[in-house]
Order: sequence, then structure tokens, then C-alpha cells
Amino acid sequence: MSRPNVLLQVAQRGGSLVTFVRKLWQHPQGRLGLILAGCLVLVAILAPILAPYDPYDVTQRAAKGLRPSWQHPLGTTTTTGQDIFSMLIYGSRVSLMIGIGTGVALAFLGALMGVMAGYLGGFVDNLIVRVVDIMLVIPTLPLIIVLTSLLGRSYFVIVLVFVIFGWTGLARVIRSLVLVLKNSNYVKAAELAGASRWYIMTKHILPGTSHLIIMNTALTSAGIMVAEAGLSFLGLGDPTAISWGKMLAEAQGGGALLFGAWWWIIAPGIGIFLSVFSFMRIGIVMEEVFNPRMKASSSIYKLFKHLNNTYLDEVFRSMEEEESVVREPPDRSDAPTPEGCHG
Amino acid sequence: MKRSYVIQRILYAVFIFFVVLTLNFFIPRIGVHDPAERYYPPQGGMSTIEYEIIKQFTREQYGFDVSAFQQYVRYLQGLLRLDLGTSLRSGSPKVTALIAQRLPWTLVLSVSTLVISLFAGLLFGTVAAWKRGRWQDTLLLNASTVSVALPSFFIALMLSFYLGFRLELFPAYTNPNMVAQFDWSWDAIRMVFTNAALPIMSMSLGGIIGYSQITRNSVIAVTNEDYVVTARAKGLPQATVLYKHVLRNALLPLATSIGMNIGGLIGGAIIIEQVFNWQGMGTLFLEANSTKDYPLMMGIMLFLSAFAILANLVTELLYVILDPRVTVGDKR
Repeated sequence: MSRPNVLLQVAQRGGSLVTFVRKLWQHPQGRLGLILAGCLVLVAILAPILAPYDPYDVTQRAAKGLRPSWQHPLGTTTTTGQDIFSMLIYGSRVSLMIGIGTGVALAFLGALMGVMAGYLGGFVDNLIVRVVDIMLVIPTLPLIIVLTSLLGRSYFVIVLVFVIFGWTGLARVIRSLVLVLKNSNYVKAAELAGASRWYIMTKHILPGTSHLIIMNTALTSAGIMVAEAGLSFLGLGDPTAISWGKMLAEAQGGGALLFGAWWWIIAPGIGIFLSVFSFMRIGIVMEEVFNPRMKASSSIYKLFKHLNNTYLDEVFRSMEEEESVVREPPDRSDAPTPEGCHG
Repeated sequence: MKRSYVIQRILYAVFIFFVVLTLNFFIPRIGVHDPAERYYPPQGGMSTIEYEIIKQFTREQYGFDVSAFQQYVRYLQGLLRLDLGTSLRSGSPKVTALIAQRLPWTLVLSVSTLVISLFAGLLFGTVAAWKRGRWQDTLLLNASTVSVALPSFFIALMLSFYLGFRLELFPAYTNPNMVAQFDWSWDAIRMVFTNAALPIMSMSLGGIIGYSQITRNSVIAVTNEDYVVTARAKGLPQATVLYKHVLRNALLPLATSIGMNIGGLIGGAIIIEQVFNWQGMGTLFLEANSTKDYPLMMGIMLFLSAFAILANLVTELLYVILDPRVTVGDKR
């Protein structure tokens, strides 16, 4: 089977968000990720109800540096006596909001750019590919630091900056899939029927890339949560909100290491770990769902490759190996011309 | 064919360098329309005329008396003489001098990190591939899952807490006298490495796991090749098959990922340097950012991107040399 056909098959395994959630739920690891993520979202929404103390209350002079106890499940800070358990609960809001918000915004921009580059071709394609190339070599972290401190330290700016520097990975992957999709029968039929280019892009091509977009959203959300924690740790987050990265920075600045207040460091670490872990599980399991041959261990490897945006090749390679097993769907059996295939 | 490919890649790298250079020039000075307003706010009791004179003076001093485009041209001219301008710090040191002063300290961290993660990654990856499916392999898999979800600065804080404060094995913060007292004596070198131990450890962890995964998968792929099966069937010793047949061919993906990672190595140390207060490029950049020292920020960012572009270019070219199967035509 030729490569474009394999790509078409990958595309046909996509579906709506509901099918994805159902498939995830059937996978034990996916269920773990979904439950964890769901719990975190609930905690973030119900934060004012769940938190036993006011996390912003910095006047508890008598309760400074308390060890974890029944009254303060995760102890208090050594500087102002804030309840760490309540801070942890409130911190989930920032992490999830930035992570999911950026992930979704990135998915929109990346998909738009990728579909435009792949389908329109020509000048637009050239321009987008050049921009992607430039984004790859720009020192991202320094630029993000510069922009957040120039444009103001609000979460809107942070999301904006993450989106500006993060869409390139998804766009590359989508583009190579679209290059194949645009030669398929149903797209040609739509073109002949006189559909507009925008209609074809949104109604015919975009659905074929849905699995990549959803998977990418989960994985980038996880990555953005780590990055956000890093920015807050450097003191570049919103100064008025409680976030896990900022908690770590305060712990270091407040002498948690010196006074042996281990609970102050471990608590935000666990928060970051759980949120990143759950979203990463969802992303990895999604890859396994649409490519069942992939073993769990190799999908971690895919995650590392994902950072280099080369993992799709790997997926195709492993799918080409299964060509004898999977039958070609009859309605799309005519092979697209190989010119559309992009290496 | 090959020469034209090389020239084409080099020209493209130069093109990208110019675009990045332009972005680097304009982005850090968003908001710096008039240096006087930013750096010398009007003081009490100062008349408008006096302040106008000060503004005029600072504008000339910082080169803001001409249009932005002329400033850009001036910057390019300076760049040709390898002059990145003057920092706004007191004593107005040259940006290049500041970078040259801090770069070796970052290199101590990043080069040791690269070497350690490479060798450990090769070792662990090969072991995991050789013992595929057994506990060694499972351990690597679980370690990867955990390490990817933990930010490196959290690991750094934990290491600093347990190894630095609790067990007192290594200094939890960098000795502030380390840089000033460095004189190439044996003791000074030893002090640098005891101080660098914790930053290097926290930076290496992710690298070790990453390289192990790449090695593992590439070794497994090569082990299934016919020539390895043949070598085994001939009755060659396991070690010979491993070193002569498997590892040599499995190293190519590793080489590519090294090339891709080197570019980000210097800039990637920003947060870790901040945790341990290590006086390298990362902390220099954060200092420049907090004091709005835009010539210094521009210089550091330009240096980092030039380094990344060069590393990418060398990787691309080396890849063609290392892997004869790669055909030059279809690479973008």
C-alpha cells in the first residue's frame, strides 16, 4: 500500500470529541487520565468550597511554619502562615486555565495554519513554512520572558505569548496530512461541485485531521502547564493569583529549604505532577487508540519525538507495516497521486 | 548536487539569521520609545526645560536621536565588527564582554550535562533494549513517565533540599566567591564542580531519560535487522554483535537529536541557574530583563539564536554525510 493510502486510513480513524472520549474510557490508562483530569477540573471549579482556609490570608502570625496536621493537612508557610492545602487547591485554577486555554487556542491557530498551508499551497504555504522554520530556531524561553515582562504580567498575555510561539508544531503535522487529504476523492468531488475553498477546508479537510488536533491539544496542554509553572517560578506570572510555580518560588525565597519545610515544596510539585501527568496520559492513549500497534513504551518515545515534531513519520512507518492486515476501504480505493505526498 | 545542497542550506541559514536578527532588534525595544522617560523619570523640583535637556542628552547617549531604521543600520554595522553595543549597567560594559564573561560558566553546566546524559542515556538505553520486556525496561518506562511530568526546577529544589541542606553533600547554593576567586588551581576547579554538582544533576535527569528512550528504540529497530540476525546465527559473541553490528548503526538517531538539543542547551539553563544562583548566561539574561537593559537582552538573544541556527545547520549537513541512505533532493 502506498503512503498516501496509509495517511487516508489514519484520517479515517478520526472522529468527534465524543467518540474520542468513549475510546479513551475503554482504555485503562486513558480512564486513569480522564478521571484525574476530571477531578482536577472539579477541584478548580469548586475551589472556594473545598479550601478549608482563605489562601490569601497572610495575617496568621500564630500559625507560621506548622507541620502537616489534621487542622492544616499540608502545613502552613513559614513566612505568613498561609494554609498550603488551600493554596494548592486555588493553584489548580491557574494551571488548568492556562494549560487548557492555551491548548485549545493553539489547536485552533495550528490547525488553521496547517490546513491553509497544506490546502492553499503556493505563496501561503511558502510563507507559513518559512515562519515555522524561523520559530524553530528562535530562543523561545528568553523571548517569552521578554514579552511577558514588556506586555504586562497578566494571564491573558501569557496565553497569548504561548500561542504565538507554540502553534508551529501542530501546523507542520497537520500540513503534511492535508497535503494527502486534498487529493482524495471526496475533496475533488466537492471542488467539482463548486464548493468554496473555505467550505472545503472547514467541512471536508478539518474533520480528517481531528484526531491529530485533539491529541495535540492534550499534549501541548501538559507542556504548557510545565512552562507556566516555570514562568511563575521566575516571577513572571500574574502577581495577584496563587499558582504552583509561584508557590515554589515563594518557598525558595521564604527559606523553606533552610527551615526544613519540605511540605511547602512537595505540595506544589505534586500538583504540577498530577495535572501534567493526567493530560499526558490522555494524549499518549489517544495516539495508541488511533494507532493500536503502538506499544506503551514507544509512545513515551513518541512524546520526546513529539517535541521535535517528527513523530508522525514514525506513526506512518508502523502503519505501513500493518498494511497486509488492514483492508483498504472500498469507497476511497483510487490512490491519490504521489505528488501530494510530503516527506 | 551535493555542493549545491550545502550552499543552499547555508544561504537559507543566513536568511533565517537575518529575520531573527531583525526580530531580536525590534522586540526588546517595544516600549522603549524614549530611554529618558524609562531610565530617568522626572525628579521632584525639576523644571520642564531642565527635563527636556536631560531627555535630549540621554537620547543622544543611547542613540535614539535618529529613526528606528537608522538605529537598525547602525546596529548591523556594529555587528560586522562583532560589536553588540553597550550595556546600560553602570560603567557601561560592552555586551560582548559581559557575554564572554558569563558564557564559560554556563558551558560548564551545559557541556557536563550533555556528556553525562549522553553516556548514561546510551548505557541505560542499550541495557533496556537488550533486556526488552524485563524489569530494566519497565523501570526505564516508568522513570520516563514520571520525569516528563516533573519540571526540572522542582527536581532542582528537591535535590537542593535533600542533598544540599539535609545531607550536606553538595552546596545548596552556588558559592558567590566561586567566580571571583577562580584561578585555575586544582582547588578552584574542584570547587566549581562541587558547586555545579546539583545543577548538573537536575539538568541531566531529563536528558538521560530522553537519550535512553531514543537509544532503546533505535537499538531495538536495528536488532531486528537481517544482518544482526545473521551475525548472531554465525555464532559471534553477544558483545561483538552489540558493539560492531548494533550500536554503530543505532547511533544515527542519537546524533540527530544531539544536534537538535545543542541549540537549546545554553538557553535552557535559565531556570536552573536561577534556582542555584549560578552566575551564567541565564541569570545574566534575567538580570538584563529585570533592569530593562535592552542592548544586553538583544545581544544574548542574538547569540543564542545564532548558536541554534549554526547547530541546526551542522546537524543537517552532518546527517547527509553520516547516513548515505539519505537522498539530498527530498529534504526540506
